[in-house]
Amino acid sequence: MFGWLLRKRTAFSEVVNHFINTPFPPSSTPVDQANFLALDLELTGLNPRKDHIVSIGWVPVRGQEVVLSEAKHYLINSPVSVGQSAVYHGLHDHQLKNAADLAEILTELLAQYAGYIFVAHHSRLDEQCLRFACQRCFGKAPRFRFIDTMQMEWQRLLRQGKVVKHDALKLPNCLKRHGLPDMANHQALEDAYSSALLLLSQLKLGGNTMTLSDLYLLSR
Amino acid sequence: MEVADVTKFLAETTPFDQLDGAALGQLSAHINVYYYQAQDSVKINTDRLLIVRTGIFTLYSDQQQLLTKLQSGDFYGYQQLLTGLTDSDTLICEEDGLVYWLAAEAFHQCRYQYKNIDIFFQRLFSRRLHQYREQQQASRFTLKISDIVQQRKIAIRPEQTAQDAAKLMSDSRVSSLLVEENSKLVGILTDRDLRSRVLAHALPASTQVSQVMTRQPQSIDRHAYLYEAVQQMSQHNIHHLPVTDQGVCCGMLTATDIIRSQQDHPVYLIGEIHRQLSTDGLERCSQQIAALAITLSKQQVPAYEAGHIITTITDALTQRLIYLAQQKLGEPPCVFSWLAFGSQARMDQSLNADQDNALLLEKEPVGIVGDYFSALAEFVCQGLAQCGITLCPGNIMASNPELRLSLKGWSGRFARWIATPTPDALLKASIFFDLRVIEGSKGLFNALQEDILQRTTEAPLFLYHLAQAALQRTAPLGFFKNFILEQDGKHKKGLDLKKRGISLITDLVRVYALYAGIHEVNTRGRLQQLAAQGIIDSKDSQNLNDAFDLLAQLRWEKHQHDLQLSHDVTNLLNPAEISGLARHQLKDSFAVINEAQSRVKQRFCREL
Repeated sequence: MFGWLLRKRTAFSEVVNHFINTPFPPSSTPVDQANFLALDLELTGLNPRKDHIVSIGWVPVRGQEVVLSEAKHYLINSPVSVGQSAVYHGLHDHQLKNAADLAEILTELLAQYAGYIFVAHHSRLDEQCLRFACQRCFGKAPRFRFIDTMQMEWQRLLRQGKVVKHDALKLPNCLKRHGLPDMANHQALEDAYSSALLLLSQLKLGGNTMTLSDLYLLSR
Repeated sequence: MEVADVTKFLAETTPFDQLDGAALGQLSAHINVYYYQAQDSVKINTDRLLIVRTGIFTLYSDQQQLLTKLQSGDFYGYQQLLTGLTDSDTLICEEDGLVYWLAAEAFHQCRYQYKNIDIFFQRLFSRRLHQYREQQQASRFTLKISDIVQQRKIAIRPEQTAQDAAKLMSDSRVSSLLVEENSKLVGILTDRDLRSRVLAHALPASTQVSQVMTRQPQSIDRHAYLYEAVQQMSQHNIHHLPVTDQGVCCGMLTATDIIRSQQDHPVYLIGEIHRQLSTDGLERCSQQIAALAITLSKQQVPAYEAGHIITTITDALTQRLIYLAQQKLGEPPCVFSWLAFGSQARMDQSLNADQDNALLLEKEPVGIVGDYFSALAEFVCQGLAQCGITLCPGNIMASNPELRLSLKGWSGRFARWIATPTPDALLKASIFFDLRVIEGSKGLFNALQEDILQRTTEAPLFLYHLAQAALQRTAPLGFFKNFILEQDGKHKKGLDLKKRGISLITDLVRVYALYAGIHEVNTRGRLQQLAAQGIIDSKDSQNLNDAFDLLAQLRWEKHQHDLQLSHDVTNLLNPAEISGLARHQLKDSFAVINEAQSRVKQRFCREL
């Protein structure tokens, strides 16, 4: 499907252009009509400039339904050792030997989900990493639209006048608060799926009249 | 790629727990996940299987009746997936939760691939049919005295004699009397008091009631609960309780009344019938039949047993009417058998059956014999009509002089049908070949039945025409594409379960039974004997039996439905009202009938 993109390295930038040229839905779009892509990255460290992506997981949300048939999870060939980060994501160097090429995966992501609003829990890190990764692979990075389920949760709790403790915003705790199923394990797709569920719950709690601009405000 | 939380949940959910990891992964890839908030209404006619992951969802019928609550691991939508029919239920989220929507294609794929999963959902469906039927039984615990006590006050004055009391008890058919002075209750007197306080002490019949009665009896208000009466009776070891209404005595509650009220059993109705002294009394009894039918259906009595019970009640009414007629007309001038034809004979009578009866007489119906049985038949047939068993529109009734014949007369008539059959005549006559004796001489009846069966077993031409008649109507195989609907007099359309189903089986089975000389007339009984004698394949017999049961069940349920809505009871089923599974089963049943018809054709309708 993306063979034409992979044929020449220069063609890679085509996919970035495609993503850039695909407009995002207007911010007046009601949330139940927007397409979202919940995604999560596992990294070798917490510095987006230096550290690398070792795995990526995503699942789209369309019409407020999590579409599992498009759920994806990839291990990424990392140029450096996962080192101590293996403690968090459980991925070791030997598992990553036959993993996918980052450019290939980014190409699939950009080609297939242009125009989607990306969703992540604590999205800033994921957003930066994606941008650096694109820069590295394609020589340029598109601008993403991200909404942050953690930020939304924080705002929600603040509005309720609650004192938000440090741990309260961690994904497992958010899931618990929303009565959502516990995460099976710490893995990119599981996390992406969990943040998708969290988003669904947050959208419902926000009432049926929310638009994308409300979401952008909430996740700022 | 699979989300572990989803596959893990499926792996723990029946029936998917029998799938291996790969299959679960495949299944989960066809799932969409949706989050509902309390008060959300779930769009249910989406042609997908709903699997509840978390939360609570409440299912309501179109009449806003709560049907069930769905929780983690419960399903909805299999009804529509299995049958292609939409439901008019509503599903409301009661507690926030996640649902998995499994795409139709994956659901079907899974069913085809794994038989057990298919069976699971089919069962779930049929269970649902039973489960959600209304269960509004009038609770035994909430019955009040006023619900069961008869508004009939039988009282005597204290200065009257023991003999007066005994006479009043016999005349009113009661076992106890209220003793009243100036409309005030002063005591009660029971038949036991007459025995133990009068006779045993050799007191004269002229003894005053006031001397032997029980003074200052216990009493109970008519608005009290029944269990309070039971408690009071057992506490004081008494069997009779005067019932008061605002302090004024209005009747008597006996232990027997209470026992009877606890028994919604046909035995009691039949007992009641045999105690009646007039047609009006029988009519009152017959008014309980509808209530009894509803009770039977609530107790999930299968249709064939219910048919049996209803027939037994008709038999009892007939027997009692014959008794009453004899009371009125005197002893019969000769031995007779009261015959029933059709459904009453087959013991599969339904609530809307009409009369099909006749008289078999020892002597020729001339002179006083003719007059006597004419009067008897008129009395019984009119009596049955008064009890709600309508007069036969085809005049197949004992009140028709052509159906009051001697053994010779009946034998000759059957011989004509059998020896020189014409299709038209047989179409009308086939009902006569299902016959049973209801009252009177069994010997006389047996002689007739032997005579008939001897002839039919050796009459290929007769069987040919009888089979032809049985094949005239076919089961509506095209039911699912183009509804074949009959119209009833009131311009309602529907599938006639009797004409298009039950009768077809009855007719087919009759051909075999007459061919084999089987005495049994009940369709199920005939099928059993036919299989036992190897006349038909036991599997075919079983299939026909199942189809027959199913159709009878649907008709029984339809009648229940009509009764509960106080409609006229009809056999017309509105296809829109039947459940999907029933539709599946109907289709199967029609196929069975079709097959059986073609076998009858091969066997009895070849060139002679």
